[in-house]
Amino acid sequence: MDKSEKNIRATKRLVLTALLFGTSLILAFVEGFFPAIPIPGVKLGLSNVVVMYALFFLSKKQAFSIAILKGMFVFATRGPVAGVLSLSGGIVSLVSMIILSIITKRNASYLISSVTGAVFHNVGQFMAVSLIYSFAEIWIYLPWLVILGIAAGAFTSVLLKIILPALDKSGLK
Amino acid sequence: MFFKKNDIVILLIAIVIATAAIFAYNHFAKQLPVKAEIYHNGTLVKTVSLALGVDKTFSVPEEPQVVFRLHPDGKISFEKSDCPDRICISSGKLGRAGQSAACLPNGLVLKIVPVGKEQKDDVDIVIGH
Repeated sequence: MDKSEKNIRATKRLVLTALLFGTSLILAFVEGFFPAIPIPGVKLGLSNVVVMYALFFLSKKQAFSIAILKGMFVFATRGPVAGVLSLSGGIVSLVSMIILSIITKRNASYLISSVTGAVFHNVGQFMAVSLIYSFAEIWIYLPWLVILGIAAGAFTSVLLKIILPALDKSGLK
Repeated sequence: MFFKKNDIVILLIAIVIATAAIFAYNHFAKQLPVKAEIYHNGTLVKTVSLALGVDKTFSVPEEPQVVFRLHPDGKISFEKSDCPDRICISSGKLGRAGQSAACLPNGLVLKIVPVGKEQKDDVDIVIGH
């Protein structure tokens, strides 16, 4: 591979990461129109679909970049606590999906990965909430979190299936 | 692969266990006498006894813009808040041991805890006596 080809690949990767980051922000915004779930830290996590896409079809590095960028964006727009919650949710979710893929030897389905990511996204936010506010009682809502995570994960995996063809067509992959 | 047969089985088992846990908790928490505790940034700032037949609103000095409400059925809720997401208000009325609600932007956490025998006289305000 010569130098110019390498440059093109790097540029493509940069553009795609930026595009995905933008998509995750839009999804987070769209999620604001859904009714709030009355458990602190629990969200539908639509933007998880973008991180999942990056993890499955691009690289771990890009998936982490998007999660960290998103945390920074939330930090800048909604304050430090919201930023820490977003970041801890994003990282714990990503790590859980990576562990799942290692355990299943990269053979996990979209559905189960997406559910794992959604449940652990909320687990990560619970960890942050219980540490920041010395609020261990929040874990009593763990069963709710599992049920909501399964619903959210099923939803995002369907979303991924719908969005995938469009991203394939963009030719950036 | 979108999904496998095993996934559905695993997810169903998880849902059944979670639902059973919720029912078990609801069953056991029902009988406990409770009080409410309000925390600000992790420190206990107020303890409220939950008496029946009281309808009253109050705030804590740390966050006067947040209003709590005691309901006649012995429950407590967030009534007003200046936070953007209003998750605290949508948490609704709490009255069962272990329940909690939070207004994270204001650093407030509301917890329902069982009244222990040894802590009988640590209630800050008693309303309706």
